[in-house]
Amino acid sequence: MTTEIIQALEKIVGTAHVLTSKDDTHEYGQDWSKLFTPDALAIVRPGTIDEVQLIVKYANEHKIALVPSGGRTGLSGGACATNGELVLSLDRLNKISKVNKVDQTVVCEAGVITEQLQNTAEDNGLYYPVDFASTGSSQIGGNIATNAGGIKVIRWGMTRDWILGLKVVTANGDLLNLNQGLIKNATGYDLRHLFIGSEGTLGIIVEATIKLTRPPKDLTVMVLGLSELSDVYPVMETFQQQLNLTAFEFFSDKALNKVLSHHDLPKPFDSPAEYYVLIEFENESEQTSETAFSAFEQVLENGHVVDGVISQSETQAQQLWALRERISESISHEIPYKNDISVTPSNVASFLESINTIVKEKYPEFEIIWFGHIGDGNLHLNILKPACLELDEFVAKCKSVNPNIFETIQQLGGSISAEHGVGLVKRDYLEYSRSHEEVLLMKQIKQVFDPNNIMNPGKLIAL
Amino acid sequence: MKILVAVKRVIDYNVKVRVKADNTGVETANVKMSMNPFCEIAVEEAVRLKEQGVASEIIVASIGPQQSQETLRTALALGADRAILVKTDEEVQPLAVSKILKELVNKESPDMVILGKQTIDGDNNQTGQMLSALLDWPQGTFASKVVVEDGKVNVTREIDGGLETVALQLPAVVTTDLRLNEPRFASLPNIMKAKKKTLDETTPDELGVDISPRVKTLKVESPPAREAGIKVESVDELVEKLKNEAKVI
Repeated sequence: MTTEIIQALEKIVGTAHVLTSKDDTHEYGQDWSKLFTPDALAIVRPGTIDEVQLIVKYANEHKIALVPSGGRTGLSGGACATNGELVLSLDRLNKISKVNKVDQTVVCEAGVITEQLQNTAEDNGLYYPVDFASTGSSQIGGNIATNAGGIKVIRWGMTRDWILGLKVVTANGDLLNLNQGLIKNATGYDLRHLFIGSEGTLGIIVEATIKLTRPPKDLTVMVLGLSELSDVYPVMETFQQQLNLTAFEFFSDKALNKVLSHHDLPKPFDSPAEYYVLIEFENESEQTSETAFSAFEQVLENGHVVDGVISQSETQAQQLWALRERISESISHEIPYKNDISVTPSNVASFLESINTIVKEKYPEFEIIWFGHIGDGNLHLNILKPACLELDEFVAKCKSVNPNIFETIQQLGGSISAEHGVGLVKRDYLEYSRSHEEVLLMKQIKQVFDPNNIMNPGKLIAL
Repeated sequence: MKILVAVKRVIDYNVKVRVKADNTGVETANVKMSMNPFCEIAVEEAVRLKEQGVASEIIVASIGPQQSQETLRTALALGADRAILVKTDEEVQPLAVSKILKELVNKESPDMVILGKQTIDGDNNQTGQMLSALLDWPQGTFASKVVVEDGKVNVTREIDGGLETVALQLPAVVTTDLRLNEPRFASLPNIMKAKKKTLDETTPDELGVDISPRVKTLKVESPPAREAGIKVESVDELVEKLKNEAKVI
């Protein structure tokens, strides 16, 4: 059977673009969560949208499960192939159109690397604002399928806000052209938005029309030290009232130390602090700098911050961002069990404190690293694997903490996945954030688009 | 010991520099400006010498338009004690810069002048050397390590093929290389305090220096765009192309 499938695929894309080696199936079978054992049937790399349609038609006829695959930088197992699925990699669909300067849009195929989109916008005097640590590897198709967020959400929103048009291949091989780049379009259900965040369960995103915007002027970065978590609110309030913030990030001293021990980066300052906030704003004029300084003076005088630094050049702005952006990579060798959650910003402190208490009581051997986009209520909770525990045992233990965490989120009306998606990791906990009725409707929608359940089966919802 | 540090406001290192349409220079309107990275290293080194108790006062000077004040304020926030702005909107070439600095040295009598080895706009790498000649002081250029002891400064220099250490009798001129130190961030409390530090203004005229350019820029052009590479199908094809097209083997 496998040989037949491979031959059929080779007929569509050519022998060079069907990969079956152990290295390839291992590489393409997993994402950055590293929690699942990859087991992919093969990898097929179509070079055109027509080829995608042919592959999907073939898979649908033969009921072969497909896993759409982008940069696989996801952290929830959404792009993992663990059950002998066929991985459909969008790597080769990487064409990017000329920027339309009147419409301020650009058309990207799904496999375009996010950073390449950012650079293309910049070369044309425009800006694509969705930004996160993995933009050098992640692909735009995956960003759309997971509605990626990142570090600029507080000002510019999520990926969803930048998608003006989508081309998708549905399970029977049809190509849908959704919203065609329009800004205004009041003609019924907007199917485009169903595909954004669908995690490959409804169809395969092959192309998108993306909105761009005016680039921000002189983004300036401050890092402030706090001794108490509760100080974060007055700091946020003060700065938000006076400045147009483009980011308001948070990390603990433990997180900072992990970064400093792995990277040759200067410490922001020597004054001891338990927590740090990183504030970025558009420094439009000398007046804006003065406002920022006076806001700092205010929070310093009131004892909410212990110290702070401000970038004097683009290089320093990048160095300060690195302190926050390199956390994930600095702890990855300790195989962190990640939870990406959100609550309303005003509930962040109480959430964080109750989780710290629960973990300290039940799992005193666990080390927790906290960081996140606190300005939009999004926290990343990372439990590090103690060296003495085997991976399976560790994951099992973490899973037993999950209900505690998720119950707390439910009580606060938060989300069990703010921006990492659901994938395999959060699937069984979906009802902590979405009602039973909602989940039922989601399943029915999936069945309409994908009656044979070949599109990334088992991810997001269990049928 | 008194140290004079020279700093320059330049187009930020990370900005993609664009040539003006009329080829007379590069676009500076609406472009982010920052302290020249080698000057940052010079300020940091002076501050470290002060923290070690070697230096007692750091004077920072800049030559340029009114906005160079911001660069001086940064240096003050990093730890310099007072600042001098030599204000001019004209182009100031390395020889003129070193003549102005010589006048400042005559006024302030520092024991050491620390400068960046070059600024990233002109890339001339001349000012430190010219200043040392004008003053008839010893020079330690491309410093990767600076140690002051017994009225001397030992400067480890990065040269082709290794490191060379020279001992200079003070007063002396030192220019910094990239590996000398890692500059600190400007702390917000120190930026506040820096506002109260003295920033004096003067002009090349007041210092009696003629800054009229000696070198005339004829034309500024972008480097030719790099052509895209190609992929070859086989080793034979590669060898064939290296032989016949690139003519390198």
